[in-house]
Amino acid sequence: MSIESAPAPTTGSTQVGAPQGRKGKPVRSEGKRAERRLGLLLAAPAAIIIVGVTAYPILYAIWLSLLRYDLRFPADQAFVGLANYATVLTSGYWWSAFGVTMLITIVSVAIEFVLGLALALLMHRTLVARGLVRTVILIPYGIVTVVAAFSWQFAWTPDKGYLAALLPDGSAPLTDFASAMAIIIVAEVWKTTPFMALLLLAGLALVPDDLLKAAQVDGAGAWQRLTQIILPMMKPAILVALLFRTLDAFRVFDNIYILTQGSNGTGSVSMLGYNNLFKAFNLGIGSAISVLIFLCVGLIAILFIKLFGASAPGSEPTGRR
Amino acid sequence: MATTGSEDTRTRMWWGIAGLVVILYALIPVLWIVSLSFKTTDTVTDGNFIPRSWTLDNYAQIFSLDIFTSALVNSIGIAIISTVLAVVIGTMAAYAIARLDFPGKKTLVGVSLLIAMFPQISLVSPLFDIERAIGLFDTWPGLILPYITFALPLAIYTLSAFFREIPWELEKAAKMDGATPLQAFRSVIVPLAAPGVFTTAILVFIFCWNDFLFAVSLTSTQRSQTATVAIANFTGASQFAEPTGSIAAAAVLLTIPIIIFVLLFQRRIVAGLTSGAVKG
Amino acid sequence: MPEPLRSSARRPRGRPLLAGTCALLTAAAVAGCGSAAVGPPVLNFYTPADNAEGYAAAAEACTAEAGGRYSVVQQTLPKSADDQRLQLARRLVAGDTAVDLLGIDVTWTAEFAEAGWVQQLPDDVAAQVTDGTLEGPLATATYQDALWAAPLNTNTQILWYRKDLAPTPPATWDEMIDASERLGEQGLPSYIEVQGAQYEGITVWFNTLINSAGGQIVDEDGNVRIGEGQAAQQALDIMQRVAASPASDPSLSVNKENDGRLAMEAGTAAFQINYPFVYASINTPPPDGGGGGTFIDDQGKPSATDTGRRVIDEFAWAPYPAVNAGEPAKPTIGGLNIAVSATSLHKDLAFEAMQCLRNRDNQLRNATEGGVPPTLEALYSDPSFQAEYPAWEAIKNSLDNASVRPQTPAYTSISIVLSDMLNPPAAIDPAALAPQLVDQVEAAVKSEGLVP
Repeated sequence: MSIESAPAPTTGSTQVGAPQGRKGKPVRSEGKRAERRLGLLLAAPAAIIIVGVTAYPILYAIWLSLLRYDLRFPADQAFVGLANYATVLTSGYWWSAFGVTMLITIVSVAIEFVLGLALALLMHRTLVARGLVRTVILIPYGIVTVVAAFSWQFAWTPDKGYLAALLPDGSAPLTDFASAMAIIIVAEVWKTTPFMALLLLAGLALVPDDLLKAAQVDGAGAWQRLTQIILPMMKPAILVALLFRTLDAFRVFDNIYILTQGSNGTGSVSMLGYNNLFKAFNLGIGSAISVLIFLCVGLIAILFIKLFGASAPGSEPTGRR
Repeated sequence: MATTGSEDTRTRMWWGIAGLVVILYALIPVLWIVSLSFKTTDTVTDGNFIPRSWTLDNYAQIFSLDIFTSALVNSIGIAIISTVLAVVIGTMAAYAIARLDFPGKKTLVGVSLLIAMFPQISLVSPLFDIERAIGLFDTWPGLILPYITFALPLAIYTLSAFFREIPWELEKAAKMDGATPLQAFRSVIVPLAAPGVFTTAILVFIFCWNDFLFAVSLTSTQRSQTATVAIANFTGASQFAEPTGSIAAAAVLLTIPIIIFVLLFQRRIVAGLTSGAVKG
Repeated sequence: MPEPLRSSARRPRGRPLLAGTCALLTAAAVAGCGSAAVGPPVLNFYTPADNAEGYAAAAEACTAEAGGRYSVVQQTLPKSADDQRLQLARRLVAGDTAVDLLGIDVTWTAEFAEAGWVQQLPDDVAAQVTDGTLEGPLATATYQDALWAAPLNTNTQILWYRKDLAPTPPATWDEMIDASERLGEQGLPSYIEVQGAQYEGITVWFNTLINSAGGQIVDEDGNVRIGEGQAAQQALDIMQRVAASPASDPSLSVNKENDGRLAMEAGTAAFQINYPFVYASINTPPPDGGGGGTFIDDQGKPSATDTGRRVIDEFAWAPYPAVNAGEPAKPTIGGLNIAVSATSLHKDLAFEAMQCLRNRDNQLRNATEGGVPPTLEALYSDPSFQAEYPAWEAIKNSLDNASVRPQTPAYTSISIVLSDMLNPPAAIDPAALAPQLVDQVEAAVKSEGLVP
């Protein structure tokens, strides 16, 4: 349910390696044809599942989003064009959920980046207990989000929690918009910073030590070395890490479902979609929300690629052929 | 390097403190839920980080609940089946992508990356409607199919990164000895690829084990409800009982496999997660 | 479900893989269905988790009574009404034939009937169900002049209070808020416990208040009436004052029925608006119940040491406080009705079992063991019931004055929208919120708007 388990990001797509050194030749030998057949055969199951479980349903979702289709009024089904989209986009609930989602996304990704970078530097450089640190930080990464969310929820519940006990008497932090949002963000950051740190650590490994030593000799301070050398050299890794985490944060659901159930205006767009589908059983409106979320995610990905020059996922690695 | 002995000790001390902070950061929320799971019903609301009185009652209680034991079986079964299928299918596809030339390869790579970024909620409404129509709603396959789909990009990417490490000359040698591509794949590549496949399996299992949105949307009964959903729906064993202890105990049980993986396969998991970026 | 696990032990390779995959998926798909057991039809009776033991006992009794023609098996749904509805509705839209009898909340009648998920009662069954059943509960099972379910339990809220802290129970909300604030100033337990969380409970609170003030949310014909008169504003004003009072429970905006009960038993609450289960709970020994509540000292504050005096010694009940002095409150009617699923394969038997499950003995058991009031009028004058159920008179009066929640298929949407706009109650601005409620409820009734 989270990007932590998303594919290892690739800086560029070179790792999806094309057969190296093969020049495209029009001549198709017998072996070549066998290779094509085998390739198709091996890729077919993956392709079939992908088409069957994502491509077809998303097209179906687009179709559903054009219908008035409420399971509670089965007799009352009709094609309504874009009316569902108009309803969603003119609804305060959509925009407040959208705002909440953006807020969670931006704040948590920003914090994760800073913490993740610090953690990556620590893991890269530390002289003490490196293996232990690398092991324990995998626990937040691997732990079930629902479990972690319950830990935070109980921790912040008045009378029950060790963290709530630190607050002034009578405060119930999960019941107020600002503090509940802060707790949701803390839960998100705790869970996903290790993933960010590991990606950045991989990028850090690409920075040559010689260069840093040379800079140090030239009198560059630690901060200068970080901003002038390390970060620029890590840029591809950073952008991929940010892209993946941003898209993942945008679909935040589990933490909110457990922590606040979306009360006090803390619902995300995913919560809104879920509620309209399964509380109101309104498949038309729910599908319109689903499609809008899909578009948002696509838009974010395009923004990253166009504005920041993150390598476009799936784009051809340069110089492949 | 002109560091004196004392400076070196100081540096080590600072690294040590920083490491300790990280360890506390990672462990405190986990220890807290462990602590709650051992608290007795009358101390569960005392807010102490360390239980004042210890009990195993919470564990005994959740195992007496059908709803939890069946959910655990569902979680384990669904996660294992999904993992096996995703890894098998992913291995085949990754091999094809890494080694073979075939039409539609670019599309497959692009589409699977798209899926990695896909908001799951967008699939929930159509899948719910499709699954209820064809009878897959609230069944194991009804969850296994979306799990495989969302695990496939992960599997394909991690595996193709590992596959690039494999000395392909061996395969060529096998082919020269008269083996067909398929035979070469089976007898030479599969054993070499096993570590990568295993790592991928762990990552995919963690993904399936973790899922909540699909499970809460596409199941409704003990027939297929997974443990994450069962915990979220926990209501306590009796009408007036507070479920905190039971939730905590169930949460700890769900965490145990993760801890085992992390302790045993730390290097592999890190390698799997970063394989792409390192080679970037 | 062993099949899938077994098949996955072997890893298929190459070409056989596809076949293996299909076999695996099919195996898992059919494993859930199982083969029909031989013998008399099994009727599955889905009930809420609360009082599940009572319903299971009724199912057993009815199985015995059926003399081998059918058996009834009780199945437990989640505890929260929202989750129960979610699960039932999902199973029914998926055409699950294993659902025969369902315990449905009184607010779902219109929705389940309109969606075709439940079966209308045949005339003869309807006549038998109507005979001797209280009117309020019957109204909750009726939609468009037809009966869609049989009332099993009813439910209503009354005021539970501490007689040491309030010798005369407050008759109105104004009096109760004043009393609470006075107690707070003296440093005594002062909380008014009421359901303020963002869920059905806060809608119930609002519905009771607006009806008590002479208003209505939606009328029988589905017309939105919130905006008429001052009732909505009066209701909103009370909710805001209760929540914003310095003497109120800081957790009010997340409190549900059980939290109110716990606060009372923990000695921090002076007043509690709640269902009769709180009486059964405080009389049940721990860990299942409150065991008489915590010890309290001379002043009435909770005490960690054995003072020989517990909350239960001062625990009392009174009518639901009125909005306007002299006009009795109209508490929202709750409870559970039994319906027969439209997907059931044994509808005739299910209707027969339905009547058995709600007969006198079973209702009496639910009342005395589960604390839920019966729907058969005769029981209220039965001395054995009165003895077991000391609060019966206050509850009967409350039921006689009851108000029904809007009976429209879109009720859940209305309730979700309302509970979102009313929570947190401390932040309510009565004058500004009332017109917004009208707009949102109107969209919800037509199932046009979004639910938050």
